[in-house]
Amino acid sequence: MSKRLMAMVLCLCMIACLFAGCGSSESDTAAPAQPEDNVINLWAFTDEVPKMIEKYLADHPDFGYEVKTTIIATTDGAYQPALDQALAAGGADAPDIYCAEAAFVLKYAQGDASQYAAAYEDLGIDVAAKIEEADIAQYTVDIGTNPDGKVVALGYQATGGAFIYRRSIAKDVWGTDDPAVIKEKVGGGSGSWDQFFVAAEELKAKGYGIISGDGDLWHAVENSSDSGWIVDGKLNIDPKREEFLDLSMKLKENGYHNDTQDWQDAWFADMKGVGEKPIFGFFGPAWLINYTLAPNCGGSAVGEGTYGDWAICESPIGFFWGGTWILANKDTDKAEAVGDIIEWITLDSSDTGLQYGWANGNLYGDGGTKDCVGSGTVMAKSDGTVEFLGGQNMFDVFVPANAFANGKNLTQYDETINTYWRDQVRQYTSGQKTRDQALADFKQQVADNLDVIVE
Amino acid sequence: MQTKKFSYAKWGYIFSIPFVVAFLIFSLYPIIYTAVIGFTDLKGLGMTDIHFLTDDPFRNFKTVLSNPSFQTAFQNTVVMWVLNFIPQLGLALLLAAWFTDKRSYVKGQGFFKVVFYMPNIITAATVAILFKALFDYPMSPMNDLVISLGLADKPIQFLISKNVARAIVIFIQFWMWYGYTMVVLTSGILGISPEIFEAAVVDGANRWQTFWYVTIPNIKTILLFTFITSLIGGLNMFDIPKLFLLGGPDNATMTTSVFIYNQAFSGSYLYNRAAAASMIMFVIIVFLSSILFYLLRDKDEAQMKKASRRRAKAEKVAVKGGK
Amino acid sequence: MSEKRSDQGMKICIYVVCVFLTILSLFPFWIMFMNATRSTTEIQQHAISFVPSTYLLSNLKILLGKSFDPMVGFMNSLTIAAGSTVLSAYFSTLTAYALVVYEWRLKKPFFSFIMAVMMIPAQVTMIGFYQMVYRIGMTNNLSMLILPAIASPSIVFFMRQYMYPALSMEIIQSARIDGAGEFRIFNTIALPIMKPAIATQAIFSFVSSWNNLFTPLVLLTDQEKYTLPIMVSLLRGDIYKTEYGSVYLGLSMTVLPLIVVYLLLSKYIIAGVALGSVKG
Repeated sequence: MSKRLMAMVLCLCMIACLFAGCGSSESDTAAPAQPEDNVINLWAFTDEVPKMIEKYLADHPDFGYEVKTTIIATTDGAYQPALDQALAAGGADAPDIYCAEAAFVLKYAQGDASQYAAAYEDLGIDVAAKIEEADIAQYTVDIGTNPDGKVVALGYQATGGAFIYRRSIAKDVWGTDDPAVIKEKVGGGSGSWDQFFVAAEELKAKGYGIISGDGDLWHAVENSSDSGWIVDGKLNIDPKREEFLDLSMKLKENGYHNDTQDWQDAWFADMKGVGEKPIFGFFGPAWLINYTLAPNCGGSAVGEGTYGDWAICESPIGFFWGGTWILANKDTDKAEAVGDIIEWITLDSSDTGLQYGWANGNLYGDGGTKDCVGSGTVMAKSDGTVEFLGGQNMFDVFVPANAFANGKNLTQYDETINTYWRDQVRQYTSGQKTRDQALADFKQQVADNLDVIVE
Repeated sequence: MQTKKFSYAKWGYIFSIPFVVAFLIFSLYPIIYTAVIGFTDLKGLGMTDIHFLTDDPFRNFKTVLSNPSFQTAFQNTVVMWVLNFIPQLGLALLLAAWFTDKRSYVKGQGFFKVVFYMPNIITAATVAILFKALFDYPMSPMNDLVISLGLADKPIQFLISKNVARAIVIFIQFWMWYGYTMVVLTSGILGISPEIFEAAVVDGANRWQTFWYVTIPNIKTILLFTFITSLIGGLNMFDIPKLFLLGGPDNATMTTSVFIYNQAFSGSYLYNRAAAASMIMFVIIVFLSSILFYLLRDKDEAQMKKASRRRAKAEKVAVKGGK
Repeated sequence: MSEKRSDQGMKICIYVVCVFLTILSLFPFWIMFMNATRSTTEIQQHAISFVPSTYLLSNLKILLGKSFDPMVGFMNSLTIAAGSTVLSAYFSTLTAYALVVYEWRLKKPFFSFIMAVMMIPAQVTMIGFYQMVYRIGMTNNLSMLILPAIASPSIVFFMRQYMYPALSMEIIQSARIDGAGEFRIFNTIALPIMKPAIATQAIFSFVSSWNNLFTPLVLLTDQEKYTLPIMVSLLRGDIYKTEYGSVYLGLSMTVLPLIVVYLLLSKYIIAGVALGSVKG
């Protein structure tokens, strides 16, 4: 009997020890962080920002802080829950610097989680002067400004969009590939889609589609609206967004596109020019060229695939797409150090700032990818000539594009509402339901799933 | 006998301690949390002041029950569960019977048993991506096939159709889980004493009779397990519907779990409504499981005793034989 | 004669069905392994291919070039999956034993309680669990993913259902007469009889723990504690630039240990350590 009891007791002891073990190991890991207090916790969803900060630490050996990085991908939907818990729990392990993507930055800068964000000025950054000096794209500032009018988030990239088109197709249809002419042909900067559809008809006559799918048009349409999805807590369907139903139908009925969906096989095939019919162009910011068009064009030098056969011109309506914003925790006790890093990434327009290297593709050595940056000052003194675009200087188009982008019609619900909207638009254009039914079902979905008043 | 058993009762308690302790430490708080916030106004992030809905404690529950999306989701869930569970159980039973039939040995059955479970070890995310790619529009292997067979002259938008989308989810669920069910049933059949089968052969029972009158009654307890766990798993179906088409198109593959997830995480952080919906699903599942238990109960208990007796007899025979 | 023919017919039918199901089962693995050898752009343009390409090494380079170490991930995954599997198999059998072998007053309520726990939907309950773990500062602690396995209601349920017909009181009685203690009887008599059931549930438990992504993703934020699925998910990064080739390579590498574990344990399911073994 006693033996049996012993066994049980031992067993329970083991469990207890396991717990005790956890407890002590926890205090071990927590302990060094508190007294030394030189660890900056960084949360990000890719290794892009962590790499930048590594570079910063390498360039500033006397910085005196070490950075502990947590990367959680957004693709599986865990970044936000984990970040929310970490921010709410606070303490020594709480994030000091965290990144937010365009799809959800509103939540952290202006929405439910904005309470955790520190104003840049409280980090010792002279925000107003710096923004002016660096000529930061206004839409990124608008997005990063909290309800009290303080800047809490800024990016390093600028993601204003342009129309990216195939030079060979332009020559075939209009006899020239000059961006200035093509801009007129597609109604660049006109603020309406009329001229764009005229061009679509001309392209169709020669057997081309103007864009790959309606998703390409969506970002431009979404951003061109005067108001966002939510106004005063009520669902608001801006006439320009509602028009997307008709634009999408027009594209489909007339066969102006290949009816692809973004990020699916057929969409990528159109970049290589191997889709159902050749596609004239895509709407997108600089990163779309770098990360998506270039790797999918079927080559890596002029003459291979569609490499070098591209050019960019102004979009009929200004828009932006994507981007990363950097925020700081208002409870951080290393405000100054955090401020130094953030300023270097988002507001430093000197030749040693991050953005200069980012724009010229030489941050980590020569030959990197050139990208648009938030600072107009930096881009003005940088060289945006890209071989992929047949030697065109992309900054000529993207700098004004950044100015046209609108950062004032976003809400923290956009990601969800856009999904419902695009789903219903597809239902309508594929003939599954009427326009009115699609609108009604859309409203119902929003009312059912979000805390939003729908009339 | 009765007094003797009584003296061992404390071991029942002692052996249950680890489970109870682990439950108290890890699950009690989350469960109470869920049960309680359904009655509060908790929504949004980092909310610390929570108020109970004193005027109408069941407001969240009423909101959920009258929510058209919840109703659709519930219908979808039931339809998709029933339509994948019936063929799944049928095929699993058939395969388990084939692979445990001592009279005709299926060559390579070890290989088949291993292989059929394999769809279950791939992550749901991978499966969802593969199937999406298979049925994509306008370019996909399935569209290539349809066109090369001459069934259509232009690509078909498979995934825009509610029924096709639902059918694919049903197929994926079926395909991922029939192997699991087969393994469970096989282990149940292998737990039956071989003597029972031998007796059946001696009695001249054919294959079908053996299966129906010997195998099935003897795995009733395991069948009940299969029914109950599948009911629970089916009504909580989440991974594939969420990852495959995000519950679309037009809510066609939205299950109640996807609905709950959307309430809690898709922008408004309506934790209170999500918790209320969870509790509603909990009540429904408890209700349905109770029915299942009740239906299988009497026979089940009797069966257990009978099996136990039969086994005891067989044991004696075996012990004698062994000696 | 006719029975023999019908036997033959049935055999053919069995093989046709089995071969068909085998193809269905292996197809995703084939695609996955093929994609592990293809470049990201090849995969983006044709997600499904039945023939390999030549990018295996470059995918491997991308995988190894990341800031994390797959070996560390493998060890963490193994610790969590093996730990939770052993705990859940052992303690669930123990709990089921208490429910089957002994007569005690709270037995029925306890069983109903276990069943109820099993039926609670997980999505919202998880919020409470994350909150708790973050509050008590136990993030980045592998034990938070291992120890809860001690209370695994569905495995207890399975063990109970299996044990009822499989375990006879007579054996236990005779062991008691031989003077064996209760704990000893459980370990030396009940456990071996339950081997096929334990093997079955061990496989399921190992697979689901190994593949579990979301909970570790939220609770483990320290690179040193990452599991393999977290690393694969990091490769996917954001949709704007995903290294699909190395993602598939990572997925393939994640699935291989599972196949090994399954093959090891399946021996018990296939052979069946049925009651016959006791008589020896």
